[in-house]
Amino acid sequence: MPLYLCNATTGAIPDSAKPAIAKDITRIHCDVTGAPAQFVHAFFVENEANPPLGGKSAMVFGSIRANRTDAQKSQIIEAVRKSIQTHAGLSLDNIGMMTTDVPASWAFEGGEIMPEPGEEAAWLLRHHRANAPD
Amino acid sequence: MISCNCIVQAGQISADVESTLRTRLSELAINAFGEPAEVSWLVIQQGSGFTAAKPSTSSIISMTANRALPQAERAALLQTLCELWAQETEVTLDEVVGVISDPQLQ
Repeated sequence: MPLYLCNATTGAIPDSAKPAIAKDITRIHCDVTGAPAQFVHAFFVENEANPPLGGKSAMVFGSIRANRTDAQKSQIIEAVRKSIQTHAGLSLDNIGMMTTDVPASWAFEGGEIMPEPGEEAAWLLRHHRANAPD
Repeated sequence: MISCNCIVQAGQISADVESTLRTRLSELAINAFGEPAEVSWLVIQQGSGFTAAKPSTSSIISMTANRALPQAERAALLQTLCELWAQETEVTLDEVVGVISDPQLQ
């Protein structure tokens, strides 16, 4: 969490563009929110029912931890749409995006409840220790 | 029915394991909520899933409760959910994301 799920019409987002868009999504989310990159998932699908395309060529649905400001969400949406425009060559009019808030306490990642935004340091420390070689 | 959406990476989970997971998720839903799970299964094709901007090995399981859950109960259910997933697959707990939502925000 966050999960950015991008649905698109067939071929609208070429495979070659996906790594660059995913890299941008990760950077944008981390820059705007201060979250660690390891939390950021960016998945691409084609012609799925969800998120509904609504007549667009691509639609991104971001499930993000709650307590982000409206300004942060708007910044993320604008930047992600621009990234897709740049790397997939779609017009901004054909790229939709929305976000939904998920309380951190509702999510479990890395074997424990997710930390609240801004409280990731202890979580990361525990996981770095757990993953450190003997 | 309890909605349960699973997102997995292509080639990560065999058909047999998927079947077992569907059964176990439904059993968990019956035990916790008194209703079976309606499991949807979305496979992310190779080259289409990224975590931390690198090829992803993560599975994401999202279940919607039929009542508001006290946090202690939710945390215990999330642990059970993620541990059963790790037991049945070859992924580690670090690669499993579980979400159990209350119904009102859906």
